[in-house]
Amino acid sequence: MAEKDIKKGVLKGLLKLTLILGAGFLLLGILGRILPSPTEDGYRFFPVIGSRVWVWIVAQLHLNFAAFVLGVPIFAVTMEFLGWRRKDERLDRIAYDFTKLFTLAYTLTAVMGAVLMVSLPILYPKFIQHLMKVLGPTWWAYILFMYGEVFVCYYYFYSWHRMKDRKGLHVLLGVLLNVMGTILLLITSSWVGYMTTPAGVTETGELVNRWQAIKTYMWIPLSLHRLVANVVFGAGIAAAYAAFRFITATTPEEKAYYDWMGYTSAMIAIGFSLILPGIGYLLGVEIYAFNEQMGIQLMGGFYAWLWVMQAILIGAILFFINYYLWISLNKMPGGERYFRYVKFLFIVVLLGYAIWLTPHSVALSLEEARRIGSYHPVLGKLGVMASKNTAVIISYMATFISFAIFRMSNKEPTVSWASMGKWLRVLIIVASTGVVLFLGVYSYMVPSVTRVKVLSPIQFGVFLLSILALYILDSRMFKGARVIGEPRWGQMPERSQYALIGITVTFTWLMGMMGYMRSGGRQYWHVYGILKDTSPDAYLPAHGVASVIVTLVTLLFFLMVAFVFWSVMKLEMIAEQRRAK
Amino acid sequence: MKTGVIKLLIVVLGINIFFAYIGLYFLPQSESRPPKELKLAPGVSQDDLVLLGEEIVFGKGQCMVCHPMKPETGMRAPAIATIGADMKKEAEKRGIPYEEYLFIALVAPSKYVAEGYDDIMPPVHKPPTSLNEGELIAVAAYLQSRGGTVTVKYPDSLEQLREIIRREGGS
Repeated sequence: MAEKDIKKGVLKGLLKLTLILGAGFLLLGILGRILPSPTEDGYRFFPVIGSRVWVWIVAQLHLNFAAFVLGVPIFAVTMEFLGWRRKDERLDRIAYDFTKLFTLAYTLTAVMGAVLMVSLPILYPKFIQHLMKVLGPTWWAYILFMYGEVFVCYYYFYSWHRMKDRKGLHVLLGVLLNVMGTILLLITSSWVGYMTTPAGVTETGELVNRWQAIKTYMWIPLSLHRLVANVVFGAGIAAAYAAFRFITATTPEEKAYYDWMGYTSAMIAIGFSLILPGIGYLLGVEIYAFNEQMGIQLMGGFYAWLWVMQAILIGAILFFINYYLWISLNKMPGGERYFRYVKFLFIVVLLGYAIWLTPHSVALSLEEARRIGSYHPVLGKLGVMASKNTAVIISYMATFISFAIFRMSNKEPTVSWASMGKWLRVLIIVASTGVVLFLGVYSYMVPSVTRVKVLSPIQFGVFLLSILALYILDSRMFKGARVIGEPRWGQMPERSQYALIGITVTFTWLMGMMGYMRSGGRQYWHVYGILKDTSPDAYLPAHGVASVIVTLVTLLFFLMVAFVFWSVMKLEMIAEQRRAK
Repeated sequence: MKTGVIKLLIVVLGINIFFAYIGLYFLPQSESRPPKELKLAPGVSQDDLVLLGEEIVFGKGQCMVCHPMKPETGMRAPAIATIGADMKKEAEKRGIPYEEYLFIALVAPSKYVAEGYDDIMPPVHKPPTSLNEGELIAVAAYLQSRGGTVTVKYPDSLEQLREIIRREGGS
């Protein structure tokens, strides 16, 4: 992307947003006039694929891009800050590369948002009228903050080189950009929160208290979950970009840089994903607190098999990342010393995967339910959260160990207590795994409320504390360590990059499916218990249909992302040619 | 470079097709439709009421998401298998007529929470479950049949149900 005058660049960004929004409003007005009136119960129908599928595709694409442009700035500014404080040019370059990516992606995010903005009031006028009645002012605040964000984003990007001597101020701009992004996220989460766990209205949907309608059970945990998931997703996209550039790189220097960028991005993605189960759990607790039935419906029943699918997807991500780290040992001088541990880590991840895949309650016919009760007599015992939480935590622990092994594989500690430190590391791993296992078994013997509110949080806490302890221990033990050899960045087989792409594709698929489940938790309600969905689409489709739609969304998203990657390369080429001239 | 990009495309496409394949061929394929409203004919027999109630308990009522069939450790709500007898005992203990206790348990469940359980049951005549009067009586008949004697009738029990809804459970 060519460097332009800051003012011109910012104006360009604001003009682009105004044009997209203006076109959206214009189209909304025109379609509202020329299309036939909605049905008596407030619906219009999208041709061929139906309104639900159309809105599903558009909303998920918009959400994917929104996650990207909200997530990437968080670690872009972190990298810029670290590069500035450590005077590391490479960190500054990676931050700038990330900024190029999300600045370009803003346009596509806005376009998809405008399509959604037109689609919803046209196809679901009654529902949107209700939302506007209850949460209308938040929509206008959303537009205001969107302008603010675009202003700061373009300023941040176009001033990158101009402000290189005022880095502190530039980093502050990046922080402001993230504050804007977080406010936008809070606003949109309040809409979803109201639809799923409504409050502040009467049983017939009359507004009583707008703040209550914003501050629903789901609001903060959903926002937190999205915030962290956005970082994971944004980092995943950056890793995919690095993999793409690694594969297309023509010089060893480029390969080395993009190999390092891919590794850094993937580790950020996986690092942040470690806290996602904990926040997801918090979200689950709030849904249960709002309505126990909804909580159980979401965790089992019709959705039981989609949780199995979720396990397949997260398990695949863990396998991709472990595989990537195990291959990466080859580029670390001294890495071969750790090859023998790989098979054990593989077995642990595989066993965890198997338990995680086991369903608890499945959709039963009346006859089957009469015969076996609510749950399968054998799998029902293994498929409960007591064993699944334990399996997930241990799988994550194994992944963290793969990461820790990679980090230290080219070093030999020289501190006097190195031998004790190694034993301490083993003790932390064994003790924390033992505690997690014990709590998992004990969870079977207590009422569910004790498991949900006490034992499971302790399990996650033990896991987080143990990886923190391992991280601190390794940092101390390997301080001033003898370096066997520097990592041979760029010397990675191409298949390692497919693993990185695999992480991002799987994560995108996972986001699509979990978004569908969260939305489907409302069943045949637009606003749960308040505004009924009486359209022909008021049912949950078969899992196969949902899978095909999620696949279609993921493919469309990657097509658009490929366009962003290609645009960045093209603009870099133009800038290079200009510089040469 | 071109070969690498083509391989990359194949990877993206392959992973997506793989997940779609699992969704299409490894997961059960049924839809979840909104429940239909049940309209009872006057004078429906108690046996039929029990059968209709069973259908609602396992379907529209979504009772089985919390209530297990048989008692088990850590259960969220009382087991269904003996719930009729259990509720009768509980009603006698509290000195309340059995049928009244049963209807209150459905439309104002927070009033009498069974010992050892959390107050998690929603009033089932209100959204999102929204059982109508006939459906409530059918569910009551089914619950009574689990270890107890069925005493509720349709439409004879309607007046009592309406009075309890007016008194305890709002509109």
